[in-house]
Amino acid sequence: CKKDLTDTNVDPNASKDAQPEFLLTAAIKNTSDTYWGTTNNMNSSLLFVQHWAKIQYTDPDRYIFSNTAFQDLWTIGYRQGIVNLNQLIKLADAQGNTNYKGVALVLRSWIFALETDAYGDVPYSQAGDITQFLTPKYDAQRDVYLGILSDLKAAQASLDPAGKAILGDVIYANSIANWKKFANSLRLRIALRIADREPALAKQVIADIQTEGGTYISSNAENAQLNYKASPNQNPISNLFDTRDDYRISKTIVDQLTALNDPRLPVYASKAVKTQLYTGVPNGLLTGDAAALGLTSTSKPGAYFIAPTAPAVIISYAELLFDRAEAAARGFTGENAAALYSQAIEASLLQYGISTTDIATYKARADVQYDASNYKKSIGNQKWIALFGQGLEAFAEWRRLDYPVLTPPVAGALNGKIPVRFIYPGNEQSLNPEGYKAAVAHQGTDALTTKLWFDVN
Amino acid sequence: AQTAKITGVVTEKSNGQPIPGVSVSVKGTNTGTQTDGNGKFSITAKPNDILKIISIGYAAQELKVTSANAIAIQLDESSNELSEVVVTALNIPKEKKSLGYSVQELKSKDISEAKETNLLNSISGKVAGVQITNSQGDMGSSRIIIRGETSISGNNQPLFVIDGVPVDNSQNLRSDGSRDFANTISDINSEDIESMSVLKGPNAAALYGSRAAAGVVLITTKKGKNAQGLGISVNSNATFSTLLTIPSYQNSFGQGANGQFSYVDGKGGGLNDGVDESWGPRLDGHLIPQFNSNGVPVPFIAHPDNVRDFFKTGYTLNNGIAISGSGDKYDLRFSYNNLDQKGVIPNSSQSKNSFLLNTTYKITPKLTFNASANYVNTSANLPGSGGKRASSTMLQFTWFGRQVDVEQLKTYKDANGKDINWNNSYYSNPYFVAYENTVGQVRNRLIGSAELNYKIIDGLSANFRTGNDYYTERRKIKIAYGTNGTPFGSYEEDAYTFNENNTEGRLDFTKKLNADFNLDLLLGGNIRTTTFENNDQKAPKLAINNLYTLINSRDPLISSNIYNKQRVYSTFGSAQLGFRNYAYLNLTARNDWSSTLPAQNRSYFYPSVNASLILTEAFDIKNDVLNFAKLRGGWSQVGKDATPYQLINNYSFTAPFDSNPQQNLSDTDLNPNLKPEMTKSAEAGFELGLFKNRVRFDFSVYNSNSVNQILSLDVSPTTGFLKKLVNGGTINNKGIEAQLGVTPVKTKNFTWDINVNYSMNRSKVKDLYQGVQSYQLGVDGSVQILATVGQPYGSIFGTAYARNPAGDIIVGADGTPQASPSKKVLGKYTPDWLGGITNSFTYKRINLSVLVDAHVGGKIYSGTNATGTYTGVLASTLPGRGAENGGLTYYKNAAGKAVQITSGVAAPAGATTYDDGMVFRGSLADGSSNNTIISASQYYKSLNNIDEASVYSATYIKLREIKLGYTLPDQWIKSIGLQSATISAVGRNLFILHKNVPNIDPESAFNTGNGQGLEDLGLPTVRTIGFNLNFKF
Repeated sequence: CKKDLTDTNVDPNASKDAQPEFLLTAAIKNTSDTYWGTTNNMNSSLLFVQHWAKIQYTDPDRYIFSNTAFQDLWTIGYRQGIVNLNQLIKLADAQGNTNYKGVALVLRSWIFALETDAYGDVPYSQAGDITQFLTPKYDAQRDVYLGILSDLKAAQASLDPAGKAILGDVIYANSIANWKKFANSLRLRIALRIADREPALAKQVIADIQTEGGTYISSNAENAQLNYKASPNQNPISNLFDTRDDYRISKTIVDQLTALNDPRLPVYASKAVKTQLYTGVPNGLLTGDAAALGLTSTSKPGAYFIAPTAPAVIISYAELLFDRAEAAARGFTGENAAALYSQAIEASLLQYGISTTDIATYKARADVQYDASNYKKSIGNQKWIALFGQGLEAFAEWRRLDYPVLTPPVAGALNGKIPVRFIYPGNEQSLNPEGYKAAVAHQGTDALTTKLWFDVN
Repeated sequence: AQTAKITGVVTEKSNGQPIPGVSVSVKGTNTGTQTDGNGKFSITAKPNDILKIISIGYAAQELKVTSANAIAIQLDESSNELSEVVVTALNIPKEKKSLGYSVQELKSKDISEAKETNLLNSISGKVAGVQITNSQGDMGSSRIIIRGETSISGNNQPLFVIDGVPVDNSQNLRSDGSRDFANTISDINSEDIESMSVLKGPNAAALYGSRAAAGVVLITTKKGKNAQGLGISVNSNATFSTLLTIPSYQNSFGQGANGQFSYVDGKGGGLNDGVDESWGPRLDGHLIPQFNSNGVPVPFIAHPDNVRDFFKTGYTLNNGIAISGSGDKYDLRFSYNNLDQKGVIPNSSQSKNSFLLNTTYKITPKLTFNASANYVNTSANLPGSGGKRASSTMLQFTWFGRQVDVEQLKTYKDANGKDINWNNSYYSNPYFVAYENTVGQVRNRLIGSAELNYKIIDGLSANFRTGNDYYTERRKIKIAYGTNGTPFGSYEEDAYTFNENNTEGRLDFTKKLNADFNLDLLLGGNIRTTTFENNDQKAPKLAINNLYTLINSRDPLISSNIYNKQRVYSTFGSAQLGFRNYAYLNLTARNDWSSTLPAQNRSYFYPSVNASLILTEAFDIKNDVLNFAKLRGGWSQVGKDATPYQLINNYSFTAPFDSNPQQNLSDTDLNPNLKPEMTKSAEAGFELGLFKNRVRFDFSVYNSNSVNQILSLDVSPTTGFLKKLVNGGTINNKGIEAQLGVTPVKTKNFTWDINVNYSMNRSKVKDLYQGVQSYQLGVDGSVQILATVGQPYGSIFGTAYARNPAGDIIVGADGTPQASPSKKVLGKYTPDWLGGITNSFTYKRINLSVLVDAHVGGKIYSGTNATGTYTGVLASTLPGRGAENGGLTYYKNAAGKAVQITSGVAAPAGATTYDDGMVFRGSLADGSSNNTIISASQYYKSLNNIDEASVYSATYIKLREIKLGYTLPDQWIKSIGLQSATISAVGRNLFILHKNVPNIDPESAFNTGNGQGLEDLGLPTVRTIGFNLNFKF
């Protein structure tokens, strides 16, 4: 009877064991979906950086959010990203497969960076270890970035193209060489993120990469991105536009692209149905005022972004070149900032299939030229255009570089200000009250307008 | 002394009719018999033996055998009488006076005359300490809670047992939140119920073990032994349903925004015609193109009843026949009942066919066999509820244009197949939704049992029973091609198979120890095996229109299946020691071994003890005023196991990405060291009978502590999990219950009875787990329902207004109220007290009863009010909308700020003026009064961000039931072969006499789970009025 009862309770619905490649695919897919999806991209960061605007239900575009609005990045990032990667690291250690470990560390670092970029202080050192930490402490943002840099250094060391093969990698089709480039490119991004606060550390990270003989992403073919498939594995933006019509391209970016006669305008925006013009919508309109502009007289985002197979871009070659240009401009490296800046613009235009003639014309424009006296402005403006659609990264870089100068929202709820962070999910107040309170005490009020550590000005 | 054969006849005191099926036994032995169809019996006994005459529904009698061998016995019908016989745990009938706990019984007439399609609803207000919540609409689920919630996270609804067979009452909500599937006990045909005994909590129910902590509802079905005449009974019932509550809408402003609207395509092609709110132009008859005018401007006018007109008068027809008969060796009863309901929502319907056969066969004088089979076929097409665009009903009407003529939507496609709808941005035509996006539900259920009873020797009998509850259920969930938001439609088939078997063996021993003491012993064992299977398949996008098969799919099918099995072995025993006729001591003990717990914690034991003392007998203090007094008290403990497979963490699969399978670590961190939950409960009470039972009073006080709860604790996702399974948490419930029966008038022709019941429960969550402060029971948007340490169970936690120390609401620079950065407890959903009062009048052959019940205290969050305020459809959004409604006149200056136009301030030439200015009453951050003018739409929309603005008192008083019945005189009916005939008019949920929450019925919920206190776009509740005919041949 004892054995009978024990046998009865063997779960026939799920597996006790995991396969590393299945965990890897799931972690990439889950995180990409939320990174590129509604709550973190379309309905928040893309509005803040004025890539997109809302034409219906405009509350988010006016910065009116409930405290559950930013739940997804938190829940999915930790719960479906970090924890699966932690299991993958355990399996990798058990199997002696350092490549799985390296890949898991790179992805986990990217997710931790998304969390701290958005919220500030977040659980890092005690995260994802429930047996020890039921209420993980919130680490200071500085500590999170330094932890990530050290994880990435370890990842770079673990990854070995000659080592054991991996499976389930839907970003680079199991190419370890590309993962090494991704790891270093991410290190460069994070180094610059802390550059205003910790210039010496940032410089050291870049020097380390060089010492290790590390290479970066070197072409658009090596962009770290998830290429979505046909339904049901389609791009989350495409999925939303199948059934809803809430978003338009922002007037801010349309005006900017028009002023520069930028050949990316027809890629980023589609013509308004009725007028056949590129018409952006101002950010932060009252519902009635937005509706009055007319759904058919305003431009949706371009077909490129609404396609089922559109990629979710994590790091592009263009971004990497802008980062190298900035590192040079800051004197962290001896490279030529102006040349890298120019290559970055070219890489971005090539990413969207712009012809070489058009590229040459565009690069020749006076208002596109690199301004050595204000690298933040040149790089800030052009990087903002290049990061179109990558709401979370564009939001972080706009806060750090303070360029472009965005237009105050028409009827924003923050007294003309634009958000500079996400608020913590409301249920952290009940689920981890000590951690939450300590973070608020350290970082400042849990408000959209509280500046984060990396955001100096 | 010599044994002798004694014969007798048992009749009803009030009318002299013989009573068949009465149990007659010799006390302290198992010599017993039953009366035949003519009320006659014969039994062998010795002089001075005590004969015990027991029949459910009558006061028991005992009488001493004298020399006379033919005796006449008259039984008095007991209505809440003090010496009645009630069914107790394991279906053992006992005299109520011997019980040390509170038990309340409902009779057939209390349940079946004013019928409800969901059986539970007919209990509302009739039993002290029982709370019924009817969720929404006229076909949904109902929740029953006895003496408050004793489990923080588990099922708090009682166990249902029919004739000794535990049966399922789940709601099976796994797949589709867009329908409120009825709980499965609603399968039971109320016509078949002889009595319903409510065992309130562990003290009464300890013998049922694991599932007794929340109480037990024992249902006894009608048997053949009571047959009279031909034994044919026919019942016919017809009721009509209309809406009881519907929101109160404004009829001054129509669809649109900023006062502007003009229809072209309903999705933004016209002026604000994609807007699904009513902040548009005045409904003053000026000409505007509308959805049904083909671009031609037509008068823009209100259709005040446009929502009400969508609903229909529903009806329910309930027809049944029962045939019963008995002979020397057998009795049987067969019944068939058909229920046919058309709901108040177009195209919603429900039907039930129920067959019940109950048989007894006396194989030898010592060996009796009972068998019963109840087959129920339920099919329903349920109305859409909840907040999904493709299937909701009230979502669309709460985001609505007040000018819409719903009559014009009845045809939902024009001649060219083009959709006709008021809005094409977000909705499909409501009639399209009702007729095309349907959920068909079919359940086939068989509840059966077989029982052998063998009298081994005098005083000792053995009983063996196996009972089974089996059902399969299939749901076909259709979303039509062309539905807004789901352009390709979808089709889902969701199938459930449930089986529970209980096989039980029992020894009963009864012995008269001496002249004073009597002992009853019971010893038994039970094996319970429960299996549950769910198989769900969905074609997420249909390939072609109007073909509902799983293979008609553009995308790969989405599939899932679950199989659960659980087994529990139990042994149990009980002893009752009776001293004379006035003192009783009862002991029970049970041990369970459950498959769901780890080997080391698998076995758990729990005892109970209770006692009763009849003071009036013990101290011989009976007099004209006090004719009965009883004291009772007891203590018990019950354990509770877990659901299956909660011990070892696992990885679940999700659909592959491309050809890459995906695996995720489970959401819950499981627990290999799980222990059983324990509930300890103490109860005391007294019963009084005064003035020859003209006044009857029953009072109970109880205190229960549930400890070591199995909690699937919500944890911060930063731990890597959403939940962690732990043992922890204590919840305390204490309360009182009182029942008062008064018969102010009792003459030959006229009787007036008043029955009052009252209950009050106070719960407190004393601790959870390792410093965790709250546990989420339910959620709607940013409103959470929590069990929070130090708070009553079910606190409502949400965003509150930011307030300054003086308590004034803080208003921001933009003129809108600010939300406090931290969420606050905004109330609790559990009521302070519940009460019901029934007045019954009998005049000759006419009887009238009126039930009023009250639910006082507790709060509810109303999503209907929150949304309807945001969208401007509710009448409550009228103040300030236009000068005629008190709106301020203003213009906007160059900075976009509103400047009021008063006698001293004029608008600059050419500036637009507005007359919908409002000022939110509150203080600015600097403490000064806010005077920023905002538009009415900004004002009302800003309230939607603050949950506190939509939390209301849930108090209500309802006129729950009126029954008016007439029993036809014998002389009219005997000639046509009838034994009896009654006709009655019945009404249920007739009026809400008092409530504090506008626009909704406060008795509303999403479902039957623990996350109550939330209402969001629920279907309106209904009032039913109808007729009932009952003929016995």
